[in-house]
Amino acid sequence: MRFSSSQDKHKLNRAAVNLSSMIDVTFLLLVYFIVTTVLAPPEDLLTPALKVEEGTSLTKEELDPQIIEIRLQDGQPVYSIGSHLCSDRNALAEILVTLPVEPGLIIRVSNDVPVGFAVAAIQIARDAEFERVTYVPAK
Amino acid sequence: MQFSSRRNQDSASLVEMTPMIDIVFLLIIFFMVAAQFAQQAKLDLQLPEEKGGSLQDSQNTGLVINIREDGAIVLETDAPPITLEILDERIQSAISSTGSPWESLLIRADKNASSSALNDVLRLLNKHGLSATRIATEVP
Repeated sequence: MRFSSSQDKHKLNRAAVNLSSMIDVTFLLLVYFIVTTVLAPPEDLLTPALKVEEGTSLTKEELDPQIIEIRLQDGQPVYSIGSHLCSDRNALAEILVTLPVEPGLIIRVSNDVPVGFAVAAIQIARDAEFERVTYVPAK
Repeated sequence: MQFSSRRNQDSASLVEMTPMIDIVFLLIIFFMVAAQFAQQAKLDLQLPEEKGGSLQDSQNTGLVINIREDGAIVLETDAPPITLEILDERIQSAISSTGSPWESLLIRADKNASSSALNDVLRLLNKHGLSATRIATEVP
């Protein structure tokens, strides 16, 4: 196989195939794939601890200190922590930064709230530097 | 503008197009393959838009549990939804084949799905003795 012989190149110079059309088509294909390719968005993880209320290992003392209840109220998801009730994440974040982080935080999620709302609570707790964040599915 | 006359004059000093065509074809192949992988690898879900916090764990995933917006539980991209009983068996086989059970499972739940399905899955994981879980987020 002699791809690069200079003699061959000179011989074939007059009979060279016109590549313009192929390059046009190739570039069109390239532009099409670049435009239509949907790149997968980057993903990360949240890793809450896990407990269920039916379990025997959960004592009242463990549940009492700091619990965020996430439930629907008047059709809107709300965060309830102690006597505070808030529906947006900034308000919840302001409450959480005033709490001690050592006891950890329990997030009890009702069945009817959107997943995004529950996951936001885990993220807010992590941002407030709680290391022990426990997800408890409501009964 | 006399393109044709210049072409004849410069025919000996034509720009070599072969490497450029090679690269363009490689780019086309890359985008074709990348598009296919993006469609097949992960179920298309609207994950909660949170920054997360433990990206280093993401390499060890064995079983991925997808929860669609309608609450259906799906394990693979093209597979039909499964029941909690089947999921129970799959979790059992997944955690028996690995040394760090909870780190081998990943939950990808649509942010608009109700937490009912997520709670059911988490109860199952807890029943199998898992002390924590991993929930996927989409980095905003």
